[in-house]
Amino acid sequence: MSVSKEELFKKLSDAVVNMEEEETVILSNQAIVEKYDAYEVIDKGLTDGMERAGKLFEEEEYFIPELLMCSDAMYAGMDVLKPHLKKDDEGDKYKVVIGVVQGDTHDIGKNLVKIMLETSGFEVVDLGRDIPPLQFVEKAKEIDAKIIALSTLMTTTMDGMAEVINILNQQEIREKFKVMVGGGPISQGFAEKIGADGYSLNAAEAVRLARKLVGGAA
Amino acid sequence: MVLEQMTPIERLTAYGKGQPIDRLPCVPIVGNTAARVIGAKVSDFKGNGKLIAKAQIEAYKLFRYDIIRVFTDLYTQAEAMGAKIYYPYDETAYLEAPAIEDVSEIDSLSPADPYKDGNLPHHLEAMKIAVDAVGKEVTVTGALTCPFTNASFLVGAEKLVRLTLKEPEKVHKLCELSLETNLRYAKAIIDAGCTPSLTDAMSSCTVISPKQFKEFSYPYLKKLIEYIHSRGKSDTLHICGKTNRIWDLMVEAGADCISIDNDADLLEAKKTVGAKVRLMGNVRPSEVMLEGTEDTVRHATIECIKKAYDNPKGYIVASGCSLPTETPFKNIHAMMDTVREIGYPVNSRILESGEM
Repeated sequence: MSVSKEELFKKLSDAVVNMEEEETVILSNQAIVEKYDAYEVIDKGLTDGMERAGKLFEEEEYFIPELLMCSDAMYAGMDVLKPHLKKDDEGDKYKVVIGVVQGDTHDIGKNLVKIMLETSGFEVVDLGRDIPPLQFVEKAKEIDAKIIALSTLMTTTMDGMAEVINILNQQEIREKFKVMVGGGPISQGFAEKIGADGYSLNAAEAVRLARKLVGGAA
Repeated sequence: MVLEQMTPIERLTAYGKGQPIDRLPCVPIVGNTAARVIGAKVSDFKGNGKLIAKAQIEAYKLFRYDIIRVFTDLYTQAEAMGAKIYYPYDETAYLEAPAIEDVSEIDSLSPADPYKDGNLPHHLEAMKIAVDAVGKEVTVTGALTCPFTNASFLVGAEKLVRLTLKEPEKVHKLCELSLETNLRYAKAIIDAGCTPSLTDAMSSCTVISPKQFKEFSYPYLKKLIEYIHSRGKSDTLHICGKTNRIWDLMVEAGADCISIDNDADLLEAKKTVGAKVRLMGNVRPSEVMLEGTEDTVRHATIECIKKAYDNPKGYIVASGCSLPTETPFKNIHAMMDTVREIGYPVNSRILESGEM
């Protein structure tokens, strides 16, 4: 049975919000069969669902387990739809290098920020966890990133964030990148002290901050 | 320095009975900062109970806080169950790899033997030495990582939280295994003359929902605390991050004292559960204690005392979480001195004006 485009988008969005990975894949395939534009399906179906999930997370209706499951569904749908994107669909996305600084392996927070940034149209290169400061800078230069996003949950590794900024200064390329920081022990005061461009308390705020740092919509 | 009239045990005992005390109990939660007190490297603590004891005893003697907590990191029990822990030369250890890669390997896990496995025997040795040295004057506790959090180190945090929705029975299995380790370790800690000090970082509403807390954390905490109570000990339960929606359950699980961090509000805690439970907290460990000045510390300490000094079930002035290793000594002294100068009954002039 055929459904209207809008209905299908709504169903896809709902499937993501309801953490239904299999359903998301089925609906994504259906969208391909119906020859709907893949970009539109991602935007109005998957992304819409993930944004709703993010909102529920902010409202403390959803917690980390739910948000991760929603993102699993979203990415499963993406895998189906991405091969069908037209070349120019992706456009020029702002690039972000993200990672957990050296000495820390807590990466749930970083992963949530990555998910929400990708949902919001940023292209995110995830270095992973326990990353030496220099590696952030090298990767940012390599891919011409706009933003370097640093995360830590431990106070012992906060200095690694300052070190990233030191390296940028030493190489006289500080102005080329915006640096945003976050994680349990990090505060606005700390961000200012080390000369970062911004701090965010959670994943939803990180998206707003990233948008602000690149000057408007991603 | 102000001379004190009471030992920590005398103070806490009298406070519990509603008898006069010289000042509110105060616990800047010193962890690996103790290494700095004796000029040791943090990694020297690995496998060296004598050194952990020496550091904790000297740190207590230097600052004169009210509870000693033998602690190096949250991973001791998970390590004893097979998790791989990385020990940087001079920083707090961290989880390098969980005990199992995939939940299908769950049957390969077994509860730890606290007298044999990992660093648990060394921590127990440290507790014994500390009790022998200063146990008459100050309560010595041993850090114990509670079931849900320990389970997250067995399989990995992200996997565990997904499992809460996908395969809840597996989460229960991991929590049961962790509980068994907890019970054995709690027994060993109490047999050593100490009290378990409970931490359940991952059970925070910053991570899981109150509903998930009720399903996966609460039943195991309750069993653990029942055992501790059966041995005649009271307990403190620390959960990081947002906790206001689970305070009731923390109390129902049997906590005698809840230690809250700075994502939670002492005033709100006092109003909602203060009639049922003692409160502990919540000067910011990083922003205030690590990075602040003595003045920042004094103001933050006064703010906390203002909110909670009249908590019906009592209040312990404390940092919101374990202090960062490099916390300046002067800030720890500033916290203690502020509490001493405010005294008890509290000097309301100082509380209101903020001036000493």
